[in-house]
Amino acid sequence: MEAVLHLPVVPNVELVAAKAVETLGGALGMSQTHVEAASVAIVEACLNAIEHGGGPITVRLRDDDHAAKPCLVIEVEDHGHGFDPAKAPKNSPSRVLGSASKRGWGLTLIRELMDEVQIQSEPGKTVVLMRKYVESAI
Amino acid sequence: MNEEQIKVSSDLMSEGVGLISAAGYINNEGGQAIADAATGLIDQGCNTLLIDLEGTRIINSIGVSILLEILEKLMDEKGKLAFCNLTPTISKTFEIMGLVQYASVYPDQEAARAAFEGDTSV
Repeated sequence: MEAVLHLPVVPNVELVAAKAVETLGGALGMSQTHVEAASVAIVEACLNAIEHGGGPITVRLRDDDHAAKPCLVIEVEDHGHGFDPAKAPKNSPSRVLGSASKRGWGLTLIRELMDEVQIQSEPGKTVVLMRKYVESAI
Repeated sequence: MNEEQIKVSSDLMSEGVGLISAAGYINNEGGQAIADAATGLIDQGCNTLLIDLEGTRIINSIGVSILLEILEKLMDEKGKLAFCNLTPTISKTFEIMGLVQYASVYPDQEAARAAFEGDTSV
């Protein structure tokens, strides 16, 4: 089971990706809560890709049996300048409350809501790969 | 989960307590619609706001950052912010982003109303 979406930069296009997660996650037997967590994560990944990539993005979804555990694999690819994941900001409420800028939560949310996250980034291509297990503990 | 258009309504629950009901995608536009409703209630003298998110299943961090601004505004005025009818994922997102450390969360409007009236059994 696989789906590939080439998404243009139009308002709320991230909801198209979220709908795909809902459909494929449901077909895999994921709980509604796990589907919603993966949906928020893919929304954040798409918004980051659009904001930093600047152009159309590609979303790939597939099922997998990683380590003999069924899961939904999501990849979000953009073609921006790239970044060093190790230097990406880690937000916390204490850093945000009272601050003029409350942005920059995307990667933090993705890491907290998904079971595994891998980021490969170089100039011209960034891929955020996320896994959500059907029997996720989070 | 096709919730592009958020529906927001506001009302007075009791003296000084405002209710905002929001159903739909909380993105920048959804968050701003809630913020506008909050400003209207604060201008009417409410310093406690309950935001009911029944019917909201997906949010993004930009929308939640606007809710953080509402929280700050109420904290500046010694007011309180509360939420009810949160899905587990929205509750977790609020926890990650710090909303639930400073705002109250109730299962539903009735539980919130009882808490506001000082009923410690909720």
